[in-house]
Amino acid sequence: MGGRVTAVCCTFLVVLLANAASAQQKIGDPPEASNMKLVGTNDLQARSAYQPTIHHQDNSWIAYIGHHGGTDDIPDPVNPMTGKPEPNGTSIVDVTDPAHPKYLRHIPGQEGRYEAGGAQMVRICDGKDLPKGDRNAVYMLRTFGSEAHEIWDVADPANPVLITRIGGLKDTHKNFWECSTGIAYLVSGAPDWRTRRMTQIYDLSDPAHPVKIRDFGLPGQEPGATGAVPTELHGPISTGPKGNRVYFGYGTNKGGFLQIVDRDKLLNGPKEPTPDNLTFPEIARMPLSAMNGAHTVFPMPDMPIAEFARDKDGRTRDIVMIVDEAIQNECGEARQMVWFADVTTEARPMMISSYTVPEVSGAFCERGGRFGSHSSNESMAPVYYKKLAFIAFFNAGVRALDIRDPYHPREVGYFIPSITAATDKRCVTIDGKDRCKVAIQTNNVETDERGYIYAVDRANTGLHILELTDAARAAAGLP
Amino acid sequence: MMRLWPVIAAMFLALGGLSEVAGYEMAPPRAAAWREIAWPFPRDGWPAGRAFRCGTVECGAEVEVYLRPKLGFCNCDSGVADDDEVDRVADVDMISPRFVPLRAGDVVDVADMHGRIRAYRLDGSRTAIGIAVSHRCDLMAVAAQGRGDAARVQRATLAFLGSQEIRNWMTAALEGR
Repeated sequence: MGGRVTAVCCTFLVVLLANAASAQQKIGDPPEASNMKLVGTNDLQARSAYQPTIHHQDNSWIAYIGHHGGTDDIPDPVNPMTGKPEPNGTSIVDVTDPAHPKYLRHIPGQEGRYEAGGAQMVRICDGKDLPKGDRNAVYMLRTFGSEAHEIWDVADPANPVLITRIGGLKDTHKNFWECSTGIAYLVSGAPDWRTRRMTQIYDLSDPAHPVKIRDFGLPGQEPGATGAVPTELHGPISTGPKGNRVYFGYGTNKGGFLQIVDRDKLLNGPKEPTPDNLTFPEIARMPLSAMNGAHTVFPMPDMPIAEFARDKDGRTRDIVMIVDEAIQNECGEARQMVWFADVTTEARPMMISSYTVPEVSGAFCERGGRFGSHSSNESMAPVYYKKLAFIAFFNAGVRALDIRDPYHPREVGYFIPSITAATDKRCVTIDGKDRCKVAIQTNNVETDERGYIYAVDRANTGLHILELTDAARAAAGLP
Repeated sequence: MMRLWPVIAAMFLALGGLSEVAGYEMAPPRAAAWREIAWPFPRDGWPAGRAFRCGTVECGAEVEVYLRPKLGFCNCDSGVADDDEVDRVADVDMISPRFVPLRAGDVVDVADMHGRIRAYRLDGSRTAIGIAVSHRCDLMAVAAQGRGDAARVQRATLAFLGSQEIRNWMTAALEGR
């Protein structure tokens, strides 16, 4: 009897180990996919990638991709176009033909490894859209490591020209720039504030002459405050003057919340950073669990909900999709995932649904690296807006969600890219020693007006350009 | 001369007594004087840590120390860079959200980890100590509270953190064990 039990236990253990081993990616393995397929790739010079922004200019489609700093092993990868080592900065790639992306230029960023260097964030506005911009210019707003924001003219994307720098900061991050007004919400970290990240609001309608409007954060973060310091900002998204709301996401993987702010009061209200003035533009604050943070807060106002179509009230809802960021490798924290909040009654926002990749579907806790959500696409182009959302899920790749009923989001496709020789290891400490694995780490995702999906990898695997197929394509209403 | 010796003897006795008192106050409390208590705070974003109490007799004042690892919380390159960071991460806000620093903090080393220490005034007569030290991208957060002199609470806390048992635990906890 004992022998049989032992045999069963051993078999179970072997199956478990085999399953875990098979889950780990190997170089040469095909990508894993459902209703999504690979169109093209670029290795981005094996640089760890963060925010991609895809812009249509002069009949070309250009991808601007921010990078984290280099790795311990390769702090400054060699740029094959110059033959020189360069600190990670911004990649500029012509994706007009998505099957054959063409690398145009690397603009070096700040020296420093991982999150301490690079130029993570990038946003683009055409000069013709900005109230005081040069009509012939295309402006790229990017962070420069942790210490500055820069604006470049990328009208000729292969030959960018630096226009402006706003420096002296301690931790820049996920900005937002309204192209129709030039108002920019720069996640900065002013040196005298008590938090690493807060918002500096600038008028960048004339990118050559930035005008500071105000500093903004939560009461308790301002200079001179005492006591508990509220959770730091991750990033805002504005609906502009028409929507008159700015949605701020605080926290990364802990203590997060969504803050809904009246844009007009924010820009035109009293600006001295006192607790009263910082509270003045706030409409509501909705806390997440202390175990989750808010990396991206993506507004989708006035969504028609089919299920409520015959109701006398509440047929459309204002929805905010909240995406947490996983930080720890190999599931070393609470699950970071996607949440949907109904903010129709703004003073009483309510969480209505959630989404996560089932861990068991790929033994993702065993694969190595991070498993959990990080970010969503932020394009509001009609092709996908309020229909499909794309979530970067680290070692679970990109996940396509049908969000037409945000009360019941459902996955309609996914794509997990293959690893390559460039894919960097991710380690955990066991008994004082590093144990490392190599896995895809899809970090950020963006879409363009044509419907292509751009996923970039934090572990140096590069850019993956994707398209929907079959049921996912049908859900988006694409031919 | 004969009349002076009792005075001198009395002075020696008094000085001896004073130094004894000072010695008692300055001496690190014995590790055995600390007893572990239940983690007294509600669940937040981080898993509960360990909490310890030392009585008035052993530590000169009742002192409680709370310590827990915060994995993946620290700037991997610069570590705990400034006093604002101690205010944010050291868990003093769990004791009371209203804390006021008594002065600028200092650098500190705990269990071979580098970071900063800062003293605070809490509500009423309580004082608190916040300590944040880092190892690579991870952090050990320590908060302590006691009545009376902040220097005494700080001394007792640092002595406790220096004990081998606690050093071993901190090292293991930061390795996820």
